[in-house]
Amino acid sequence: MNRQTSRYRVADINLIMTTECERTEKRAEKYLVKSPGIDFDKTAEVIELPAGMAEEESSKYVGVQPDDVEYMLTGRAFYTILLKYYGLMLHSSAVVVDGYAYLFSADSGTGKSTHTELWLKYFKDRAFIINDDKPALRKTDGKWYVYGTPWSGKNNINVNTRAELGAIVFLERSENNWIEKMTPQEAIPKFMAQTVRKLQRKEDISAMLSILSAVLEENPIYRLGCDISEEAVITSYEAIRKV
Amino acid sequence: MKIKEGYILKEVAGSNVVLPVGEEVLNFNGMASLNAAGAFLFKKMQEDVTEEQLVQALLDTYEIDAETAERDVAKFVNKIKGAGLIE
Repeated sequence: MNRQTSRYRVADINLIMTTECERTEKRAEKYLVKSPGIDFDKTAEVIELPAGMAEEESSKYVGVQPDDVEYMLTGRAFYTILLKYYGLMLHSSAVVVDGYAYLFSADSGTGKSTHTELWLKYFKDRAFIINDDKPALRKTDGKWYVYGTPWSGKNNINVNTRAELGAIVFLERSENNWIEKMTPQEAIPKFMAQTVRKLQRKEDISAMLSILSAVLEENPIYRLGCDISEEAVITSYEAIRKV
Repeated sequence: MKIKEGYILKEVAGSNVVLPVGEEVLNFNGMASLNAAGAFLFKKMQEDVTEEQLVQALLDTYEIDAETAERDVAKFVNKIKGAGLIE
């Protein structure tokens, strides 16, 4: 165990994070702040698990490594901090095309990464994945932005940048391709099922619900049924494109 | 009769959403959404009240007859009890 503390900037939030396991440290590397300003520590949020916790927790479960525990718990800590900055995590694969980010959300195994991979194939160098699993969604200066973060699922696909939010899409598998607009009310349970919901503190829950309300009222939300063809990409892109 | 501590009712995009907080997250999986009358009763039940008081509160606020109010309260209380939200 090599416990070490570094300074990061994720989703425009200053972080001082202490890690003991290799994976979290490695994945956060892109977000390191090389020369923190004099005020950095004063404005920074702290993520620090108790020493030995990852190892102790992992020993309770078969097949779970300290790495897994640390990665999960630091992620949960970050996305709880995000609430204080008017931001939410959405479990989704986020693809950026021509500067706008489109979030495809669904339960694990449904095919959200498969769908955004099809976008990459179709749009080539006009597109990239900003976060393949847990993008941060945050409102600053009156606009909603999507951010890459070190927590992006098993494939570790993320870019340390932000892009303006284009649309949120809840994806399901279907034999043909269709897309329809959702009302904010319809989207509440869908969104709630794909964000950090089991929060301990009342003020966090309260913040989460306020931000959720704003996200759903201020952005277009869709339901997409799709297969894995190019037609699936065209169906969704033509309906949700911003430019 | 009173709703347990550890539940929060909040308006989200025009809907009334109930979520568990703290230890209750382990007991209550998911969320509930309530219509306006449901949210009204939920708020009343965050203090200790009887079914009769709830019926009276509905009658004082909404233009409905006693029979409808009693039926609505009974239905709502049942639903809330069934979800394990009563102390």
